[in-house]
Amino acid sequence: MTIRSFETRRAFRIGAAGVGAVLVAATLATAGSAAAQDGAVTGRVTDAASQRPVGSVQVVLVGTSLGTLSRDNGRFVILNVPAGEYTMRVSRIGYGAMEAEITVVPDRSTEQDFALAAQALGLDELVVTGTAGAARRREIGNAISQLDVERDVVGPPVNVDALLQARVPGMSITQSSASSGGGAMIRLRGNVSMTQSNQPLIYIDGVRVRGEGFGKNVPPVGYSGRSNNDISSPLNSVNPQDIERVEVIKGAAATTLYGTEASAGVIQIFTKRGSVGEATWTGQIEQGFARNLTFGPDPSLRPPSENATSLSGGRSDFLFINPWLRGRKPNCDDAVVVEGQPCDSGLFSDIGAYQQKYAMSVGGGARDVRYFVSGSFENDDGVLPNDNEKKVILRGNFSFTPLDNLQIQWNTSYTNDQLSHTAAGNNAHGMTLNTFRRDRNYLNDESFNAINPFLDQELTTQIDHLITGVTATFTPFGSFTNQLSVGYDLAQQDNRNLRPFGFIRAPTGILSTSRFEFNTLTVDYVGSYDFELPQAIGSRFSFGGQSVTERRELTTAYGENFPGPGDPDVDNAGNTLGFEDRTRVVTAGLFAQNVFDRANKYFLTVGFRVDGNSAFGSDFGVKWYPQVSGAYIISDEDFWPQSWGTTKLRLAWGRAGRAPGAFDAVRTFSAVGWGGEPAFLPSNVGNADIGPETTSELETGFEGSFLDDRIAVDFTAFHQKTSDALFSVLQVPSKGFIGSQLANVGELVNRGIEVGIEGSVVRKDTWTLDLFGSLALHGSEVTSLGGVTEFSIGGFGWVIEGEPAPVVRSNCVTNPDALADPVITGDDPGEEKCIHGPNQATTIASFGATFGLPYGVTLSARSEYQGGAFMYNGPQAAATRRSVRWAGCFEAYNTWETLGYEALTAEERARCDVKWYQSDFAIQPADFFKIREVSMQAPLPDAWANMFGASRANLTLSGRNFFRWVDPLMRTLDPEVGGNVGYNTQVRSMTEHVPPPAYYTLSMQVVF
Amino acid sequence: MGTARRTGRGGATVLAVAALSAACDVSVINPGRVQEDFLLRAEAQAAIVQGIGRAASEAHNWVGYTGAAITREIHPSGSTGTFGIQVEWQNGELDYETINTHWNLSQRARWWSDDGISKIEEAGAEDPEMLGKAYLWAGYAYRLLAENFCDAVIDGGPRQPRSIYYDRAIARFDQAQAHGSSEVAMAATAARASTRAFQGDWNGAVADATLVPDDFVFHMPYHSTEGTTTHNRIQFASQAEPYKAHTQKFTKYEEYGLSENNPDGDPRVPFRITDETGDAAVQCCGQVPWWPQTKYPDPGADIPLSKGAEMRLIEAEAMLVAGNWQDALAKINALRAAAGVEPATASNTVEAWTELKRERGIVLWLEGRRLGDFFRWNRDNRPGDRHPLEMASGSQYEGSHLVQQDLCFPISRSEIETNDNLG
Repeated sequence: MTIRSFETRRAFRIGAAGVGAVLVAATLATAGSAAAQDGAVTGRVTDAASQRPVGSVQVVLVGTSLGTLSRDNGRFVILNVPAGEYTMRVSRIGYGAMEAEITVVPDRSTEQDFALAAQALGLDELVVTGTAGAARRREIGNAISQLDVERDVVGPPVNVDALLQARVPGMSITQSSASSGGGAMIRLRGNVSMTQSNQPLIYIDGVRVRGEGFGKNVPPVGYSGRSNNDISSPLNSVNPQDIERVEVIKGAAATTLYGTEASAGVIQIFTKRGSVGEATWTGQIEQGFARNLTFGPDPSLRPPSENATSLSGGRSDFLFINPWLRGRKPNCDDAVVVEGQPCDSGLFSDIGAYQQKYAMSVGGGARDVRYFVSGSFENDDGVLPNDNEKKVILRGNFSFTPLDNLQIQWNTSYTNDQLSHTAAGNNAHGMTLNTFRRDRNYLNDESFNAINPFLDQELTTQIDHLITGVTATFTPFGSFTNQLSVGYDLAQQDNRNLRPFGFIRAPTGILSTSRFEFNTLTVDYVGSYDFELPQAIGSRFSFGGQSVTERRELTTAYGENFPGPGDPDVDNAGNTLGFEDRTRVVTAGLFAQNVFDRANKYFLTVGFRVDGNSAFGSDFGVKWYPQVSGAYIISDEDFWPQSWGTTKLRLAWGRAGRAPGAFDAVRTFSAVGWGGEPAFLPSNVGNADIGPETTSELETGFEGSFLDDRIAVDFTAFHQKTSDALFSVLQVPSKGFIGSQLANVGELVNRGIEVGIEGSVVRKDTWTLDLFGSLALHGSEVTSLGGVTEFSIGGFGWVIEGEPAPVVRSNCVTNPDALADPVITGDDPGEEKCIHGPNQATTIASFGATFGLPYGVTLSARSEYQGGAFMYNGPQAAATRRSVRWAGCFEAYNTWETLGYEALTAEERARCDVKWYQSDFAIQPADFFKIREVSMQAPLPDAWANMFGASRANLTLSGRNFFRWVDPLMRTLDPEVGGNVGYNTQVRSMTEHVPPPAYYTLSMQVVF
Repeated sequence: MGTARRTGRGGATVLAVAALSAACDVSVINPGRVQEDFLLRAEAQAAIVQGIGRAASEAHNWVGYTGAAITREIHPSGSTGTFGIQVEWQNGELDYETINTHWNLSQRARWWSDDGISKIEEAGAEDPEMLGKAYLWAGYAYRLLAENFCDAVIDGGPRQPRSIYYDRAIARFDQAQAHGSSEVAMAATAARASTRAFQGDWNGAVADATLVPDDFVFHMPYHSTEGTTTHNRIQFASQAEPYKAHTQKFTKYEEYGLSENNPDGDPRVPFRITDETGDAAVQCCGQVPWWPQTKYPDPGADIPLSKGAEMRLIEAEAMLVAGNWQDALAKINALRAAAGVEPATASNTVEAWTELKRERGIVLWLEGRRLGDFFRWNRDNRPGDRHPLEMASGSQYEGSHLVQQDLCFPISRSEIETNDNLG
């Protein structure tokens, strides 16, 4: 036998379906003719440097349809192999492929092991997202980021948001609050829309799932903030341990084939599949806790007039809410602690919010069927007292091969997520607001017994989320592949929001129960045909269509004024109301694409998609999205010295869109009630010409591996222009319609560069050190308002020609450092206001390292910096203008009390003296640095694992977000804190939330 | 209820392909919204009239509440947010950037009343009395603008004198009188009297006022069961759950209103004394004792729009304008006697004007009329004093805590920035 590593140079056009077909054919062949002359091939794949087993490696016998995937323990088996000589090839993302010559003899098992060398740049890795069918990385002219969970992730992430944080250049993921189960804002290259969603599209195993957040748990009438004011993300219906890899494409140059709703990018998650062989069981137990870092000034900075704690034991570094924060309660010996008040008696009595998770999976398969089945249960307390999340996730992924040329993949997951929350955000009935505002809260009382009754509000949510999809891949002949996918995403969300009879701020009680149903039905077809053109030009023509039908239904029952205490239904209330809201939008598109390939190093891709959408105006018609890209493997040229490594140059241009809202096109009136009688009010002006906003993107860059494949560099420069941008055009109020109307009038530009570097610095026997880092520099600009007036989109975010999109603008103090009264500009009509800067980060950098240590121990760290953004600190503004003694002003108060008012600067007077105060003075820089994760993983000795029947086991200790730095001018809270609408908002601004906590986890994984 | 349903015409080809796999129905649905065509049908007319009324009620809610703060019918005691009194209004300033909602809602009420009426007239009114009600609401929408806004703008047109609002209000009241039920016709007569008084047409005002009996009252309805936009905003904001946004402390009504501190006070100005403070500290004066009004007991309490007592005061004011202060005082005292309070005294015209101004403050308390009264008395240089606690003291920290006192709502930023005719 001989073993060699190699780099593929020839055309390799089988696509994802083709890969599947190969594997399926292999299993069919093996099981179908278990003749006496057959043998088997077994072996183990390990990492050449660390000797760790490598799973999910494709193992094929070249020239046959026989093959399999290695399991988590690196083992593989190919059964029913006819006797003879074969070339075996093994390949996997992140490793250089290897081949070996083997001889199979009848009735015997041939052993062949492989030690794969890590490869910084895998040009022959398959990519699925953004292409019609699968493509090799070398063919693709746009940037694409891949996260291989087994290779790149050490330790169990809390959820998918946390898994992706600080992994992809140019991707920002920020969690809005400490609320249990809260989702995260995801931005790829910043905002591409000022009025529509900027969340990327989410696909899971090829099935489009809801990308927007679930509904907020809030009553349908009254103030819209009677809630915990955060929302859950459908992305977190996936168990991170089920994920095999994630692909991210960031701009219109890559997302053209997704069409009308893809301008903000696409994230696709691929879950694990079983491999041929006996069942492999994997169990995992995680135990941990969450607790907050400080998010306010140290108590030592307080002025002489302030006590060290509030009457309930609250401290300024937690904005006085720590008596209710798990892990941060006052010491039980403190004099302020009253009877019945939870407190810290030492001995870990208040270590934090307890987090626990248990997961089990099994994967395996035979000739015709492969399977991966998993289940997990987690029970996580939040740091706020009523917060808890209990989540069950079940998954079944099955691959069927009924015919040699037909493979069927059926993936299904079901998630049951039960959430309990503490009222938070800008909510006068909430715990956070009333503690932050101290004795000038809605009770005029900061004592524990006064505030604690706010916990009587019950905020519970149950989300049942089913995602299922079937993909059939049919290959009638070798060069023609058809793939049909049908996906269905169904989420039902039940919210219950009860302020019970006797509630401190609603004595007769208020109850709202609501049911959301979100469903998305996706039907996709793509066909691919490979053929040769003259001049030895390879060609693959792909074509297809997609239909996406999205429905949203909401039914709410509301009651107030209950006759007495108890566990009420809505119909027990004195006054009851009912609400219903239903929408459905259909998007449908056709697409075609051709990839031309010359000599396996010059690639040209041209394609288009044409979309219709039922939200388009009646006069609009369809929308075309063209695409062209090229890739050039310059390192394959003869003139390129081999010592220079591997380099691919790429250039891409494409368009994608974002549709308007369901009914923005039509002039409508709202049907409302008035005194029990129906009434109409003017609602929406309508715009028959409305269509999607269109983002065109030009993207160029290179990917290279250098220094003997030890360093990989991925550089991208992009320029996005969103034309026909949907702006909220304010209507003339005296014409009767007082809202704004979306119109395709504006133009935005985003531009920037992204650099990702990975380096294998040390690779010696059992010692390895891999470093990685990324830097993204982004800028945006509103290049045209299309003749409409500059407009606000909330939170001091403005859309102004020539400024970032959006820009933070406010009145401001022109003499901030002077020891004088503030001089304020912007107050009066015509007076110039201050431009602070963009609302989205313009610099995103991440840095990390993975150490491989003796005995298989791995230490991994990951950190992130975001800078350049400004945001509104709403809690500061709301408190200060109410004369609350705001902790963020303690230093100023101290100066005032000790040195006199004249010692205060104009900025301090404006910010902290209510005489001058305006909300405008709460604009602050949002720069931060956080250590996102440090994990240490160690394998247990095999003997220990074997004691309970396992083949291997490992322990992982992780800490997440346990260190942070923020700009000193942001004296309170955290730049990741969001507003009252959860994470999906065009303008980041803060309300009264507790920031996301740090997490500390110990986990054990056992493989049987 | 009609269901809105439509399909993009140009997308038909592509959508047809999609239909093969998407249950063949490719329209957008959103049953909650109604397209304009439906409103031309006869069965929509009742809801159009209701909508015109509701639009007028929402406008009256906002303008009346903020006007009450500016004129110190109430004093701020806390919230500056959703149901609160913004800092500028606490100081007496009606800044053009802060009053978008007041302008927008008032303009919507005006426009929708005209547009809705034209839809009904175009289709032919199914019920003439219902149309009469629509005319009445339209008249009140215009009266609100006439009494409270500095300038007129109609349908995106140029700035015009506010007198155009008076004229249109009177025209609508004429129609209401002609088409409405007896109650609507009487309300239209009373409302026309007040509009004519505002206009300075005292003969016309008195001619209408004398037709209205003492006990007549016509209300703007509010509701406690349909969400906060239909609540009586003044009442809802004054209550403890959670706003406590205003108080009678630091107002002139503290002195002679009916309360626990003054059981012999005027029952037309009731409030209660609590030992609580407002929901937040106020810039002027820290934490303010919360003494909420009790004229409106619940969020569904209706607000009078026209009433006989106001007519008697119009008659009294016409007498004062004519120099007959003795009969004017007698009119005032007749009202006071009916309310069971001591008669007012005056020995000359100026003192009688002072009493009239005070009496209108009592009779029309929290009804959204005080700002208009201040404006016209100032415009017409009427003699007589207002109470110091309802006038600007020039300082946040003294007297009424009013730094200034704007007497009308300007054209809002929302109109200025969108209306090309305003330059």
